[in-house]
Amino acid sequence: MEVSCLELALEGERLCKLGDYRAGVSFFEAAIQVGTEDLQVLSAIYSQLGNAYFHLHDYAKALEFHRHDLTLTRTIGDLLGEAKASGNLGNTLKVLGRFDEAMVCCQRHLEIARDISDKVGQARALYNFGNVYHAKGKSICWSGAEPGDFPEDVMAALRKASEYYEANLVLVQELGDRAAQGRTYGNLGNTHYLLGNFRNAVASHEQRLLIAKEFGDRSAERRAYCNLGNAYIFLGEFEVAAEHYKRTLQLARQLKDRAVEAQACYSLGNTYTLLQDYERAIDYHLKHLIIAQDLNDRIGEGRACWSLGNAHTALGSHDQAMHFAEKHLEICRETGDRSGELTARM
Amino acid sequence: EPKSAATASTQLFHSDGGEMEPETMEIKSVSEYFTKIHIDSLLSGH
Repeated sequence: MEVSCLELALEGERLCKLGDYRAGVSFFEAAIQVGTEDLQVLSAIYSQLGNAYFHLHDYAKALEFHRHDLTLTRTIGDLLGEAKASGNLGNTLKVLGRFDEAMVCCQRHLEIARDISDKVGQARALYNFGNVYHAKGKSICWSGAEPGDFPEDVMAALRKASEYYEANLVLVQELGDRAAQGRTYGNLGNTHYLLGNFRNAVASHEQRLLIAKEFGDRSAERRAYCNLGNAYIFLGEFEVAAEHYKRTLQLARQLKDRAVEAQACYSLGNTYTLLQDYERAIDYHLKHLIIAQDLNDRIGEGRACWSLGNAHTALGSHDQAMHFAEKHLEICRETGDRSGELTARM
Repeated sequence: EPKSAATASTQLFHSDGGEMEPETMEIKSVSEYFTKIHIDSLLSGH
């Protein structure tokens, strides 16, 4: 018995909902092979294929299918479908660093949503717009600069991002969409942080944390604690930062996310260094080192060794300091890290 | 280009500018489309 396009698409949809995007892609591609006369079904297949490839980080394929969807929806005059295709295409172009094209898509998404008085769509387009400006700002080279002290083009992009997030917040608050508010507060907090508005960053991340707790969303809670820790560092409130990083570490362990656990240990090590509590700094840097070794993360291992060398120097443990400095030098040579190598030789 | 292990102390906390929230992708569901068609046909039948 032949399987219909619709049956294959429904199975692809079921698998993607379960998070099995690889298997979902196979069913959607089989559905396309079988073909359908129903162009709404074809649009949904293209769109879901694009999203599945997006989640699989295959952005070239995601771009291809979201483009197909956009062409199709324009051809059949499906405005709502075109708005959604534009939104997805914009997100994909943003990830690919093609910000100007992404903005054109966001603008089209926003225009259609306004034309058809779709407030949910407008809010989503504004959020995407904010994300494009935020990513554009971050993509511009800023090595060595501090938050709030970036070149003017970076700051201008970040200010635009914050305007779009604020406009989104007005709408999602009106709609009572707490989940959307949570996401926007998180990204707005990061934007304020990069703009050097650390008090505003804290206020936004506190809101994000509150909403994450309402939903029992521990990943979002962990992100909020980490981002709060970063903001408190720049406010010079190192003890408060350490408390937030400790919550990040607890949640990373609960979520069994080793890479994030390593990052939290590294942040705690650095925070205790700022507090001149070198014993605790060493304790956390050693924890970071062990995880980096487990994960075969040579750059992380090098950072841990460099930090351990500095902390032991501060304590006057010269043999230990020399041991870690040598390890750091060895890793820098292996990874081709010239600046690290020069620092290690000093 | 490989990242340097020897990072300036002020850059230790913001190398990635904070952890971002996930993108929101628009969903077009085949099952919802057919549910809608079914409901519409039921409503128009009455």
